[in-house]
Amino acid sequence: MKIGVFICHCGENISSTVDCPRVADVCRTYTGVEYSVDYKYMCSDPGQNLIKDAIHKYNLDAIVVGSCSPHMHERTFRNAAVSAGINPFMVEIANLREHCSWVHDNIEAATRKAIELMRMAIEKVKRDKPLTKIKVPITKRVLVIGGGIAGIQAALDTANAGYEVVLVEKEPSIGGHMSQLSETFPTLDCSQCILTPRMVEVHQHPKIKLMTYSEVERVEGFIGNFKVTIKKKARHINEDKCSGCGMCITKCPIKKKAYNSFEEDLAFRPAVYVPFPQAIPNIPVIDETVCTYYKTGKCGMCVKVCDREAIDFGQKDTIHVADVGAIIVATGFKLYNIDKKSADSKYKGYGEYGYGKYRDVIDGLQFERIASASGPTSGEIKRPSDGRVPKKIAFIQCVGSRDDSKGISYCSKICCMYTAKQAMLYRHKVHDGEAYIFYMDIRAGGKMYEEFVRRAIEEDKVKYIRGRVSRIYEEDGKYIVKGEDTLAGMPVEIDADMVVLATAMIPQDGAESLARTIGIPYDKYGFFNEAHPKLRPVESTTAGVFLAGACQSPKDIPESVSMASAAASKAIILFANDTLEREPVVAKVNEDICAGCFYCMKVCPFGAVEVKDVKDINGIVYKEVAYINQGVCQGCGTCTATCLSKSIELAGFNNEEIFAEIAAL
Amino acid sequence: MKELIKHARELLENGEVAAVIGYRQVSAKRTKPVIITDPEETSALVFNEYCLNNLAVYLTKARIKLLCKKNDKVLKLAITAKPCDVHSIVALIQENQIDRDTIHIISFNCHGVAKDFGFDFNGDNLASKCITCETHKPLYYDALFGEVKETPQASDTALARIKEIESMPHNERFEFFKSEFDKCIKCYACRAVCPLCYCQRCITDKTIPCWIETSSHQRGNFAWNVIRAFHLSGRCTGCGECDRACPADIPLSLINRKMSMEAKNLFSFVSGRSLETPTLVGSYNEKDNNELFM
Amino acid sequence: MDKQNWEPKIAAFVCNWCTYTGADLAGTSRLKYPANCKIIRVMCSGSIDPVFILKAFERGADGVLVSGCHPNDCHYNAGNFHARRRWDFFHELLDFIGIEKGRLQFSWISASEGKKFADVITKVTEDIKAMGPFTAYKKMNSEFTIDFPEEPSELPEPEFQENSDKETE
Repeated sequence: MKIGVFICHCGENISSTVDCPRVADVCRTYTGVEYSVDYKYMCSDPGQNLIKDAIHKYNLDAIVVGSCSPHMHERTFRNAAVSAGINPFMVEIANLREHCSWVHDNIEAATRKAIELMRMAIEKVKRDKPLTKIKVPITKRVLVIGGGIAGIQAALDTANAGYEVVLVEKEPSIGGHMSQLSETFPTLDCSQCILTPRMVEVHQHPKIKLMTYSEVERVEGFIGNFKVTIKKKARHINEDKCSGCGMCITKCPIKKKAYNSFEEDLAFRPAVYVPFPQAIPNIPVIDETVCTYYKTGKCGMCVKVCDREAIDFGQKDTIHVADVGAIIVATGFKLYNIDKKSADSKYKGYGEYGYGKYRDVIDGLQFERIASASGPTSGEIKRPSDGRVPKKIAFIQCVGSRDDSKGISYCSKICCMYTAKQAMLYRHKVHDGEAYIFYMDIRAGGKMYEEFVRRAIEEDKVKYIRGRVSRIYEEDGKYIVKGEDTLAGMPVEIDADMVVLATAMIPQDGAESLARTIGIPYDKYGFFNEAHPKLRPVESTTAGVFLAGACQSPKDIPESVSMASAAASKAIILFANDTLEREPVVAKVNEDICAGCFYCMKVCPFGAVEVKDVKDINGIVYKEVAYINQGVCQGCGTCTATCLSKSIELAGFNNEEIFAEIAAL
Repeated sequence: MKELIKHARELLENGEVAAVIGYRQVSAKRTKPVIITDPEETSALVFNEYCLNNLAVYLTKARIKLLCKKNDKVLKLAITAKPCDVHSIVALIQENQIDRDTIHIISFNCHGVAKDFGFDFNGDNLASKCITCETHKPLYYDALFGEVKETPQASDTALARIKEIESMPHNERFEFFKSEFDKCIKCYACRAVCPLCYCQRCITDKTIPCWIETSSHQRGNFAWNVIRAFHLSGRCTGCGECDRACPADIPLSLINRKMSMEAKNLFSFVSGRSLETPTLVGSYNEKDNNELFM
Repeated sequence: MDKQNWEPKIAAFVCNWCTYTGADLAGTSRLKYPANCKIIRVMCSGSIDPVFILKAFERGADGVLVSGCHPNDCHYNAGNFHARRRWDFFHELLDFIGIEKGRLQFSWISASEGKKFADVITKVTEDIKAMGPFTAYKKMNSEFTIDFPEEPSELPEPEFQENSDKETE
């Protein structure tokens, strides 16, 4: 084998502490090194030409470049090698800049280390094997998980690009939290009015297959080739027959046994229900847990009134399998439950605010329902306890958020804005009402956001008090909010009729288990992790899985929508090609010696290991061995270290190569 | 004993099993493993305090295939196993080497075995593993024989030895093990006798690249013994057969015992005790000890 | 070799995504640390085999560092969790047979912890220096002499070559 060695000065970045000509001279003496040279800027065009010319002139089989980090210019040098006819994986980089010249002062020590680093790379390259990129086909269909505004946007964008979409929503209707909101900041336009047309569009789009009241059970496969198992929960209503007339709902005798979760438990719903009147699809669900039929076998009122015979008490959950090429996760958020928490919860709760104890201490979403024209009070601001119009409301921001002692350090981002909006709405509806807002800081970054908050203060006379609330207690039908005005430097007490807590946004229930099902990482709060916080914000680290909306971190509507469009375009970019090229750094099993213990299967984070039958000449299975699906394998190599008989090798980092590096230490 | 013979005979005669792996007496204080396929020969089967071998070592995929395939029909394989040998069988099932459905486990109420052939069975000559044994009744079995008897009392000398080694400074410990490992002649009897060393090609036989230097010089011996112990960490069920097999008397099971203690200490795991618990290697807990890491 | 001028040889096995990038950041931030440690890059801390450590000792390393992504940060989700179990065992095993725990050290260093990388390397180097050369391992005889890689004449011969075959009893 003929090896070429190229030492880069990187201007003076390397050569100021590493004697580059000496490194090149020493390398020239190593067995196998045919050509060794140092140059001012290897990554420049002349530098690359130097490499290409040397490859041609000396007939080199492999090259080692001593330069900056491989994360920087590995691709550059590999491309140079390819254009000169060398396999890109016959290129090794010794990191002489970040790991040597920049971190050491002593020229002798740094030069010696540089020589040793080069020696290791030379020994490795001697054992490198040419590798070719893996090509995998792509199924051009997207799975969108979550039917909130982010999921809706992602589904519509992808479908409008001409690709099929499977939209899975766990609730009976799409719409998500946005459908619960009264008005939206900073324009104060009605949430339902802008959302409902989108929901209808999803429902009618020929490319979108809508699966509501369904959950993703299992995800197998890999980018371009996912196989998704979806459980469609039994509605007990035949969807093909139901016309959505709502007779069953009106006639259902169970009126007050279940809270309406869409109304944030401020109202009841019958045993057969649609979450809200504009639900998509407009098909009711029978709640088995409260329905009399499931308890006693009697009633059947809904069956009697349904002229389409759509009620089907015997309906069972069904399992559906979809082949998709990309997954967009848009599972959204829920609100921090501010009630007292059990000891094992990672959150502490706010027992001191009396949430759950006082009926007029409510959270932000409950206020949204009270303020909503379609809500339980038809938009009139009334107290849940006695229906009186509150004359004084205390809003408290940062309940849960930015509070390490309660378990959450992050800012929930939207609360400053929606609290201002809610105080504004209250002042618009109750002209003699007083609105107080306890805040830590006002974070109103965004187009027209700061102006909006100023409007609340200046035009709507909302009173902002900078400080925290220590306690809330009831006295003579009022809620005494004890806090501190840190700007005035004195304690304050507000005798409010109602208290609204802007509680933190936390990930949806089951976000962590969904993450494990799909195989994507999440942070300590349960928000899904993006591949890179700045440069790859909508991709997860698992190829082919994209993130949209508040499942990644707290977000407002415009951010969620733009992230959803970004995720959709990522999927569309993926679908622009018919096959996908992958790096060939994957594990491979030596079937002759595999003993079939399948420890590799247990440790593989991606489920890439399958059971393969090895057959003899007569077609009779004589042993089972592990087989690694090259499309699924991400090349971590955990299986190679776990394999006791060393029957698995990771291409590009095989044991021979690593041993050579160790030997050259 | 009669029940055992009767049971084995019935199994073979009824065509339920293809063979019975068991023990036969060769002299007063010595038994040998035997694989019986003929019902007439079952009379040779015994079970007593000299049934030392861990017969699970015979449960290799290849052997099962060879023995159990009778005229296009796959029969079960019966094995007589002490409760501790059942641990090995459990570990083998968990590592996909055998299928629980294909194995008929004939086990016994056990009150310990002698430390080697030829010794009287009493507290002084009790096998090391029996001193701390907690499973006198097997955890998994298809047939159970033998009467319940008291295990002779004995002091746990192996544990004392471990404590003694642990009290030595590192350089002495290193010298101690170096001299112990130096005795190794690389006969690989420890590997041959271990039921969990079922690999088709051992890591030490892998030559490109060479993982463990195969010559029996100090360095090669050291690497082999460390890696052997490591490969059994969290897997070894403590049958102690390696100790009995080693012609150089290297205290192999001492290291295995120490690693089993660590498995219990660090991960509350004992190998081969439950088919439901995931294996230690191949699983993880996010709350595993993190002290090691800066 | 002169004990005064002895410099330890340290191998660091690090994962490509966190620690290697963290080391890059240490470089970009121009943090200084001793030049004794050489990095061997692997894809994931889960792919580092204990035999690598023994090989490094056999090849004359005085200490070894293994480093990967923090728990829950693994690029491959779970590789470091499997690694953590493996190292807990191996560390105890080495300790039991007489290799001091400081010879083999572990850390989690994320891509943003350039400072931590520099600190860890400094600490490991100082620890190994305090322990002195790992002569116990190097003294173990083997009939092999290490014939590669070729050392240029101006570099001192590695210590493990001097000891070969001298200790045969």
